[in-house]
Amino acid sequence: MTPTPVRADLALLLDVGSAWTKAGVIGRVRGRWRLVAHAAQPTAWGATALRRWLVEQLAASVDTRLVHRLDDLIADANRIECHTARRPARLAVVAVSRDLSGGAARRAAEAAGWEVVETVTFDDGRTLAGRLGILQAAEVDAWLIAGGFDDSRSPRALEAAALVASARRAGGGPVIWAGSAALAGEVDRLFESGALSVVGNPRPDARREEPAALRTHLAALLRDAVMPQDETHLSSVAFPRAIGALAGATGLRILGVDLGARSATRALAEPDGTFASRVHASGGLAGTVLAPGAAARVARLAGDAGDEAAVADLLQTLRARPTSLPQTPEELAATQTAARVQLAGIQEDGVPGSVDLLIGAGRTIAAAPRPAQAARMLLDGVRPLGVTQLAVDAAALLGPLGSLPDEEIGEGLALLGEDLLVPLGTAVVCRGGAPGRLAMRVAVHRSGWPPRSAIEVRTGQLQVVALPRGQAAEVTIELLGGASLGAVRRSTRVQVNATGGVVGLILDARGAPIALPKRSDDRREVLAGWRDSLAREATAGSERVA
Amino acid sequence: MSVIHRVRLPVGATPTVEVGHSVEPAEVLATRRAPRGGINVAVSAALRQSPADAERSLVARPGATLDAGAILAEDGRGRQVRVDEACILLGYDRDDGSAMIAPLSGSEPVLGHVRGDVVSIEPEAIELRIAGALVAGVGGSGTAVHGELRVAVHEPGDELRATAIDVGATGRIIVGGSRASAETLTRARAMGVAGIVLGGILDKELRDFESTQQRRREIGGVRGDFAVILLEGFGKVGFDPGLFAWFRTHEGRMASLFGDTARLYVYDAGPPPGRRVLPRPGDRVIAHRRPHAGQGGELVRVLDRPYAFASGIVGRGALVRFEDGRTAVVPVANLEATEPLASA
Repeated sequence: MTPTPVRADLALLLDVGSAWTKAGVIGRVRGRWRLVAHAAQPTAWGATALRRWLVEQLAASVDTRLVHRLDDLIADANRIECHTARRPARLAVVAVSRDLSGGAARRAAEAAGWEVVETVTFDDGRTLAGRLGILQAAEVDAWLIAGGFDDSRSPRALEAAALVASARRAGGGPVIWAGSAALAGEVDRLFESGALSVVGNPRPDARREEPAALRTHLAALLRDAVMPQDETHLSSVAFPRAIGALAGATGLRILGVDLGARSATRALAEPDGTFASRVHASGGLAGTVLAPGAAARVARLAGDAGDEAAVADLLQTLRARPTSLPQTPEELAATQTAARVQLAGIQEDGVPGSVDLLIGAGRTIAAAPRPAQAARMLLDGVRPLGVTQLAVDAAALLGPLGSLPDEEIGEGLALLGEDLLVPLGTAVVCRGGAPGRLAMRVAVHRSGWPPRSAIEVRTGQLQVVALPRGQAAEVTIELLGGASLGAVRRSTRVQVNATGGVVGLILDARGAPIALPKRSDDRREVLAGWRDSLAREATAGSERVA
Repeated sequence: MSVIHRVRLPVGATPTVEVGHSVEPAEVLATRRAPRGGINVAVSAALRQSPADAERSLVARPGATLDAGAILAEDGRGRQVRVDEACILLGYDRDDGSAMIAPLSGSEPVLGHVRGDVVSIEPEAIELRIAGALVAGVGGSGTAVHGELRVAVHEPGDELRATAIDVGATGRIIVGGSRASAETLTRARAMGVAGIVLGGILDKELRDFESTQQRRREIGGVRGDFAVILLEGFGKVGFDPGLFAWFRTHEGRMASLFGDTARLYVYDAGPPPGRRVLPRPGDRVIAHRRPHAGQGGELVRVLDRPYAFASGIVGRGALVRFEDGRTAVVPVANLEATEPLASA
């Protein structure tokens, strides 16, 4: 008798990062596409090791007739892949003033994914010769010049352009003029034909900063001129596309943050599917050490990560050995606090309005040992005011799915259904209120559950209410003592629906930004309280208070 | 063995060597004329024109390099403005009719800081082939230095103490052990040590040292170059014993150390012990993170199932028997296999 041939429909979703590669195998199980295996390993380990690990996982669960064919099946599976850019694109910024034109240009460049390797301004304390010397030695892919308000003809801005003209080799990369519109023609004459592009001034006058045009131009330049490979396969492009498609499909306003080893991507998508994204070249964990005073800040915010010297060594290790893993609780605490600091850094101008869903991606967040730790990083780093669902892209599927053609992204997201994201729960974050006084009184109504008394949350407190994955609750929030959920409301009573998750319903009255006691013992006690409140496993019907 | 070293040329540099030349660390590979401070040159007044008309008379555009005596502007009726010395034209002020120029200094050397043969010359860089080995570090500080290697500790896990720095260390590159204090670095610099090679150092100690040196530079109290390179990690991290043994066999060899880019070239040296990710059972390994940072041992076996570490992280673990006799499960991602020396 001829054995019945066994068919296996598999696809391999790969997210190849600068440090770690994440792989998910999706297969058809009883007529539905499901995530059947997931693995993550340092990228340097190579494809063979990754395949071997996936085979080990699948061997335990697949039809025994397929076991000996698994290696071939995975090797031949349809691959959907995204990857981090091979190297960061480097930029020199030359501007009139450090705080105005220079600051605006630098922020726009970093938000577009460029690494700013040199910044020269006329108030940087250097001599003219020093500035020229630095620029002549700079190894950059492009030059950005900024300065002068649009209604003025600043000689300093022209000098900035001349500095670049003096320091740059002919054909030495594109030049962007983002200064006074009145000077664009004169600046153009300083460079060979076609070298200069003119974009909107990010500081058109002393009061306004309008970086959007410059950021968009720099992001396009990054993709077109410096990284000419198929842009949709770049993680920094694919991840926001997936967030946009998810927002369009669900009708939710979604903020996605992908914290990588080297860079970080932030994507804000509207319910109609449109999205805006920013890539922060040094926004990843390895970039924490670059921020002035980072070690002191991380040590202070972690509370249990050791002293500043130990944290400084850890931050350097994250830069030097980005594939290594925290083995001790102290190292994990410092790493996760560094993630919170970096997340806060990439939200520099905040999120306009509240978001419905906040998604965390990247190994540090999405593969945190405990879901509560992921929730803590998202809550403390982003401070999403209002009522927000939290979720993590635990299997790193969003990036690969976002690399599909436009018309297929939504289909891919829909196919994976509940396997796509791990819901952490819903967070209610308020700000304001007097320290120690009531900030929120929250009533949670769950269908089929007996009514229970309202929960009181004081300013500075964090409470968690068990609300398992798949459950929903009606939540009535009464704001007290001047506390607010961010948006201006006529009523202090708000009624919302909350969905459950592996953490539950988080009631967070710690304010924005979070206020911490000055005394170190008090601070450690408060931080430990918040950590323990989130970390204890949820017991149905109970609240955890800190 | 040989390795390639790339020397980047600043804009305007003129190579003074040719492909095939053999060069020494202090040899000039190229010269450049660096710009000095800016000065203003009256243009409109000299041409007896309005500032706007004088701008149209400029014959050079900002960014151009002009030779001494070159014409900066002329009105077509015999009046000219020339520059007295070689310079870069930086800009023209339409309000006062003056041009700002940056005079160029005399010839300044571009050094390679290595001994080797020139293999290519491009406008951006000169590449040199070095007969020797490259040891790449994970961090460092300071400029390019060269000197003879001298091992100053007995064991790879020893701390390099200030008392180990004596007059015999002057002009040499000292190979230390697991760490050095800011005090030791300060003494080394004061004693004329060229550079220090360490397994690790506390980031805070290195920053403290850099801060004091910066302050001394600002008041003019620092002479000579000095560099530090870290090979294993930050913190109290010992040398890999295999690499330490390699340094011992090369004591007395000349070396060039680039602190800021964490590279050390050792001349006429065989390859240092190699490193490989994804170690296998039986491999000699080195661990990279606490609590075993810098410790060497033997990988006994890779665990079949994912392992939950004390941090809560679940991942591939390997049982390692460390050289101090203890055994521990360590994330495989935190381990590198160290290849034995070719002669071993």
